Amino acid sequence: MNTPLLVWIILAPLLGAILNAGFYFYHIKKQKISDKIFSIIGTGTPLIAFLITLYLFLQMKEEGIIFTQNLFTWISIGDLTIQMSFLGDNLAIFMSMFVTFVGWLIHIYAIGYMKGDDAFGKFFAYFNLFLASMLILVLADNPVILFIGWEGVGVCSYLLIAFYYGDKENVIAGNKAFIANRVGDFGFLLGVVTLFFAVGADSLSFSTIEANISNASSELLILSGFLLFVGAMGKSAQIPLYVWLPDAMAGPTPISALIHAATMVTAGVYMVARFHFLYSGIENIGLFIAYIGAFSALFAAIIATKQQDIKKILAYSTMSQLGYMFIAVGLGFYSSGLFHVFTHAFFKAMLFMGAGGIIIALHHEQNIFKIAQHRAQLPIIHFTFLVGVIAISGIPPFSGFFSKDAILAAAFQEGEYLLWGIGMFTAFLTAFYMFRLYFIIFVAPTKNVSQHIYTSKTITFPLLVLSIGAITAGFLNYPAIFGGETMVDAWLVQLNSNVIHMSHSTEYILMAASIIVAVAGIFVAYKKYAKFDIYKPESEKGIIANKFFVDEFYDKIFVQASKKLSTFIDKVVDEKIIDGFIMTVCNEFVSFGKKVATIQNANVRFYAGFMLVGMSCIFVYLYILLGL
Amino acid sequence: MMTDIVFVALSIFAIAGAIVMILSKSPIYSALGLLITMLSIGGLFALLSASFLFMVQIIVYAGAIMTLILFILMFLNIKEEDLPKEPKKYSLVALGILLVLPLNILVLKAVSNLPEKDLNIVDGNFGDIKPVGMALYNNWLVSFELISILLLVALVGSIVLAKKRKPKENKGEQ
Amino acid sequence: MISLSSYAFVSMMLFSIGVIGVIARKNIFVIYMSIELMLNGITLFLVTFARYHFNLDAQVMTVLIIAIAAAEAAIFLSVIILLFRSKKSLDTDVFTTLTQGEKS
Repeated sequence: MNTPLLVWIILAPLLGAILNAGFYFYHIKKQKISDKIFSIIGTGTPLIAFLITLYLFLQMKEEGIIFTQNLFTWISIGDLTIQMSFLGDNLAIFMSMFVTFVGWLIHIYAIGYMKGDDAFGKFFAYFNLFLASMLILVLADNPVILFIGWEGVGVCSYLLIAFYYGDKENVIAGNKAFIANRVGDFGFLLGVVTLFFAVGADSLSFSTIEANISNASSELLILSGFLLFVGAMGKSAQIPLYVWLPDAMAGPTPISALIHAATMVTAGVYMVARFHFLYSGIENIGLFIAYIGAFSALFAAIIATKQQDIKKILAYSTMSQLGYMFIAVGLGFYSSGLFHVFTHAFFKAMLFMGAGGIIIALHHEQNIFKIAQHRAQLPIIHFTFLVGVIAISGIPPFSGFFSKDAILAAAFQEGEYLLWGIGMFTAFLTAFYMFRLYFIIFVAPTKNVSQHIYTSKTITFPLLVLSIGAITAGFLNYPAIFGGETMVDAWLVQLNSNVIHMSHSTEYILMAASIIVAVAGIFVAYKKYAKFDIYKPESEKGIIANKFFVDEFYDKIFVQASKKLSTFIDKVVDEKIIDGFIMTVCNEFVSFGKKVATIQNANVRFYAGFMLVGMSCIFVYLYILLGL
Repeated sequence: MMTDIVFVALSIFAIAGAIVMILSKSPIYSALGLLITMLSIGGLFALLSASFLFMVQIIVYAGAIMTLILFILMFLNIKEEDLPKEPKKYSLVALGILLVLPLNILVLKAVSNLPEKDLNIVDGNFGDIKPVGMALYNNWLVSFELISILLLVALVGSIVLAKKRKPKENKGEQ
Repeated sequence: MISLSSYAFVSMMLFSIGVIGVIARKNIFVIYMSIELMLNGITLFLVTFARYHFNLDAQVMTVLIIAIAAAEAAIFLSVIILLFRSKKSLDTDVFTTLTQGEKS
């Protein structure tokens, strides 16, 4: 059903961004504007977007309709037309609900976090722009509009990672994020083109592609499915394009919370779910996606066990959880994967915001051992952090248990025992390193306690709200065996996901197994770290602590080679060969011209002689011509 | 019969004078050679029944122009060292003969294809002063007037060119 | 027998000798006199054809040519005087300030 409201979900934050940008220019050029104005615009617009989404959601729940809105025809070439239109179906409104809600909360948090910063207005302008791009991505009606949002979030991620651009390291991290994303985007674009070519329809909207998908040959579909996933690899930080995510922690914590935990990195999972009609038909690619997810999860978990920077541990944990989501969507369990996206958004954002609160309170200290040495009394943050850590480890009845367990059961049901095994081991490691983090920061004995601490309501209020979500969100998809209605699965029925249907006893055993694994992880962490001597921190040597040297490997293979190639092309090919060739031709012309110019020697007799030579030739010719 | 001999003699004088003119080292000798040629050509005009032109040639060419040339030659007071050195004179002459040959062959061949006619001397109604004057003033009046303007220009021009310059740094004023 | 061809021969000889004189000699007087010789050769040719075709127009043309030669003589000799005054030489190879090659 057509509605004019749909585009306002996007336009509200977009206008907020433009207004904030305009005010910020005024602020730096002419006259200072109080931070309050930026805050009000910056947090008001996501709230408006959330309220509209909520309104549409309630209508959809009542009447079971989907919303569309067509603005105008954007591209019309030959047979192909691409409309600038938006689609608010169940999946889109589901994503948009938690994106706007969590986004709104993090905007409030950012008011407290960024207080006193000179570029306060610029931050909120970028932040709103990011939210607008993410909503374009989620509400898009065809892959091209989705790509606009896809690129938009990439740009905003770059702008925000390099926000403190005075420090060159941050700029390098921003570049790395953008370039790694670009590699993925290239794959995505090729995938869309291949899909368009394979399907051969006259419009590119998702519904048209879905209707015509049987026209395409399966090789082309496999190719486009693979290429689209390359885009997801880049955006959602899976192997091999994950290298930007740890370095992206150089940006301010609110953006780590929003972009790199709850929203942008889940865009890849959303995209695979959106293309469910494509991936259902090519199961080999689905299996490939699941394996990439599993290995990324394991890899990230191993590295996280030895990291010492609080935000980097959380970054690797994000990558690991994203791996779980890809296992789910790869095997066809789209709604389970999206449910894990939903719960992960809550507890990961909360963990990041808690970490940010600690960092701010201790004046930007990020090493966990040093944080422990100067431990501050922050009760609310302590409480919410504990909630988040328990949720992510998968302990019932917190939300993480239900979503993670659904994925593991799916892997087991499909007979992919290797995936299930990797998932279980990673769950053990997840519990281990998350509790390691908790114990070191909050529990291990320390000598001094900091006195001057800074915290504010804008920091603690979102944490409390999210903790409620982290605890209770699991009940939205309460499994059938416990007598609940799987509401999320029912809502996302359009995706034709596979469902769990095994005997109750198997399910109970699997659930018990995952709980045992998580508790085992907590126990090992407790034994090792609850009484850890934080004044002798762990060494930073060893292959795991150095992240398996992947960055150095990439640097050698790709970066150095590209540098050598460009230096070669610049110095040898451009200067010597091309310039040399052209300049030689030029110089030859000039010297030839100089030689010819010596004929003009101003000697009149010489000129007369030359004229005579010419005339003789003409006379000889005339003689022959006249045939005398 | 007589006319043939006269023609041959005049031709030989004309050509000999021309050859002397281009081969002499001293310009005075060249001028004298040219004078002989002028006079011979005047004679040839007379053989062709152009009596008026015979007189004009003698008066204007041989009498005025050659005199002017000889006058300027003496006026400049040319010494031996002022004359240019011309080492390659004869080789250039040979080259010139080679280059000028095609034109000659072409013209002579073309002329020899014209029908034969008798070129005896005719009487005074052709080539005398009165017929030439009538043709000049009746048919060629505009050219005549233009020529007189040209002579005026030449007159003024030569005076302007040879005028004494304002006292800057002068070389060799009289 | 004298015929058209003989007169043509004489006039072409004179004209050719004039051409050779222009390119072979460096002395500016000789060049000038060779130009006059060329003009004379052509006037002879014209008068021959006046007699051949029995038409007086060529003779009138000859009168005009002689008048032009007179005007030319005046200018030419003034210029020779000027050149001799400035460079003290009668060599045409000396007057090459407008050259594009090496300036001697």
